[in-house]
Amino acid sequence: MASEPADVLIIGAGASGAVVALRLAEAGFKVTCLEQGEWLNRADYPGNKLDWELKARKDWATSPNIRGLASDYPIVEDDTPVSPLMYNAVGGSTIIFAGAWPRALPSDFRVRSLDGIADDWPIDYFELLPYFYRTDKQFGISGLPGDPAYPPDTEDAPMPPLPIGAAGLKVARGMTKLGWHWWPEFNSINSTNYDGRRPCVQRSTCQSGCNEGAKASTDLTHWPKAIGLGATLITGARVSRIEHNDKALATGATWIDRDGAEHFQPAKVVVLAANAIGTPRLLLLSGLGNSSGLVGKRLMMHPFANVAGLFEEPLMSWAGQFGDLIESLEFYETDEKRGFVRGARWGLAPTGGPINTALPSRAGEQAWGPDHHLHVRSHLGHGANWGLFAEDLPDEANHITLSDTVTDASGIPAPEVHYRMSDNSRRMLDFHIERAKESMDAAGAYKIEVDRLMRYSGWHLLGTARMGDDPKTSVVDRWNRSHDVKNLYVVDGSCFVTSSGVNPTSTIVAIALRAADHMVETRFEQQVPA
Amino acid sequence: MTTERVDDATTLTDDERRTLAAIADRLIPAAHGMPSAADVVTDERLRFALNARPDLAEPLRQALRPELGPDLQARLDTLGADEPATLYALQLVIVGAYYTDAGVRDGIGYPGQVAITVRSWEYPQYLEDGLIDAVLARGPVWRDPATGTRARTDNAPNTYAERFGGTPPEGDTHGHDRA
Ligand SMILES: Cc1cc2nc3c(=O)[nH]c(=O)nc-3n(C[C@H](O)[C@H](O)[C@H](O)COP(=O)(O)OP(=O)(O)OC[C@H]3O[C@@H](n4cnc5c(N)ncnc54)[C@H](O)[C@@H]3O)c2cc1C
Ligand code: SF4
Repeated sequence: MASEPADVLIIGAGASGAVVALRLAEAGFKVTCLEQGEWLNRADYPGNKLDWELKARKDWATSPNIRGLASDYPIVEDDTPVSPLMYNAVGGSTIIFAGAWPRALPSDFRVRSLDGIADDWPIDYFELLPYFYRTDKQFGISGLPGDPAYPPDTEDAPMPPLPIGAAGLKVARGMTKLGWHWWPEFNSINSTNYDGRRPCVQRSTCQSGCNEGAKASTDLTHWPKAIGLGATLITGARVSRIEHNDKALATGATWIDRDGAEHFQPAKVVVLAANAIGTPRLLLLSGLGNSSGLVGKRLMMHPFANVAGLFEEPLMSWAGQFGDLIESLEFYETDEKRGFVRGARWGLAPTGGPINTALPSRAGEQAWGPDHHLHVRSHLGHGANWGLFAEDLPDEANHITLSDTVTDASGIPAPEVHYRMSDNSRRMLDFHIERAKESMDAAGAYKIEVDRLMRYSGWHLLGTARMGDDPKTSVVDRWNRSHDVKNLYVVDGSCFVTSSGVNPTSTIVAIALRAADHMVETRFEQQVPA
Repeated sequence: MTTERVDDATTLTDDERRTLAAIADRLIPAAHGMPSAADVVTDERLRFALNARPDLAEPLRQALRPELGPDLQARLDTLGADEPATLYALQLVIVGAYYTDAGVRDGIGYPGQVAITVRSWEYPQYLEDGLIDAVLARGPVWRDPATGTRARTDNAPNTYAERFGGTPPEGDTHGHDRA
């Protein structure tokens, strides 16, 4: 069954797809989006209910393999120590993302020039700055202006900072003692009423969906506006192939509905926004855009370690935005004396509820018998967690292929992830773990627990269709357009050249908006199928 | 969502129910002013946990199967070594049923995921205490790609008051939208 042709077909209604849809709908394009997931109702989210911590481990798990919902596709992950995490729905992974909103730093775009390794980006921080300001307003950012870890801004975050909590204050005092950089975290979470959404109420359940609608997820921040401007969003629509003609132009996409029926959506331009696992999967399934051989390669996921400090005094650290309370970029930039290049961002997060505390910890610690009660009493609300996000350098050996044996419910081959943490990343995490322990020590922690590499930490999916000027060594150009297929764009985190060491969504959406602006500006030069 | 209702939690055999109570008491006994999980994990609480997690019903039964013998510690050790997922399901059911009990929550001083008003119009303590001034006084920490070294910013503010003329970060509008 064929449908009305779209000016632009977007695949994936997550962070980047929503930003592009809104911009193009504003400019009068006829936009259609195909999304394999559904609209969700935030009243159903488990965060404000008694069974939250039970549901958070299954229906609301961050791993699609654990959830196994109809909207999810399986990911074969036998060959990776880190599991890719995501959510498949209108809003994409922003439904369950934590909302931490740091930007990539200026040096992140010049890794080859500065550190003689990996590659430079064809674009830079300063070119992205106007887009950061615009997306900060769209998503609604809370933050304290003036962070000296970034170049001075000409525009402040639209809302004042969220509280850093007793845990944030404690650790900030420790950082001050050491003379180390820290700053209240920028979060895409309302600290005031903003854009028709309510302020955060500190439940700390952000990774199970935000009942309040305080956290920016694009089902709230973008899609209603885009649809109001005429965009069409088709849900329960799993794309199996991007089709093309003999002039190597994309003609639309074939998709499968929940009942297994096949449809074709014709379009003049196709935009991939299915994230850095879903997008290369589709390009490989379609045999498109891969003259460089780099589709699916250079997967980066930010190897992650956790350093938990325990304090005598109650910190109520079951509450507070899960985004982050405070961050540190003290050891972000390269210092070769440390035995590795590049660095990691630290984000301080709350520590969860009683079930999380009672079960064996991330570091494998458990307490049963009479001591169980002492364990829970000393841990619940008494902790603070430094999460360490290591910059992952690109490596072609870290890649995605299509499975020969596993398919999703629609019969489409599942992606298979092949990934190793590099020696550079291991040394980096080891160094940062030691410094984070010193920070906890300086803050007065009486006990410190470390998880050296967390399996369920593949939140940040990057690099599998990299951007570049040279078609031989990159998949898309500086405007996110495929070198090979002139009416095909990749606007999600797949386009990242290097990973930076910060949570990527702020940068992903700024790049997506820049690409959309360019599509609008060049609309009359755009090659389209006859 | 995969939540079909499970009303058969109590259809555990008497034997299974007894084994569950014994394990619950072994893992979380009455001590330090807290009750035993054997007493707290009633049929009602068990049903609550399994309604939230119907997928745990089957591994729970596996964990309680009579073939594993009467020795509780040996049962836990065998499960831990050979069937960690089954052991985890058993622990999760007990912990999940126990810590969703109102009395237990009172006992550990945990009010649940309650809503707390963000008072974003108040001057944060960290500004008051000069913690941000200490960060600003050290100057920029980002590396300037143009020079390859730590950035220098002329006239960078040394204190928060200098940056903002002493005013607190723009506060809430007491319920009015800002955009
Ligand atoms: C638990 C968790 C916490 C996170 N926390 C943070 C954080 O604090 N800060 C931060 O910066 N980032 C965070 N992230 C990462 C952030 O969510 C992602 O960077 C961001 O959502 C990526 O946007 P995207 O548009 O690339 O993809 P997504 O938002 O993942 O959207 C992709 C969409 O494409 C759809 N799709 C895929 N394949 C198909 C197909 N074949 N047919 C139809 N539809 C398809 C999917 O269903 C999905 O809705 C977190 C992620 C997770 C999982
Ligand atoms: S802490 Fe705030 S942002 Fe997170 S889920 Fe609760 S209300 Fe939403």
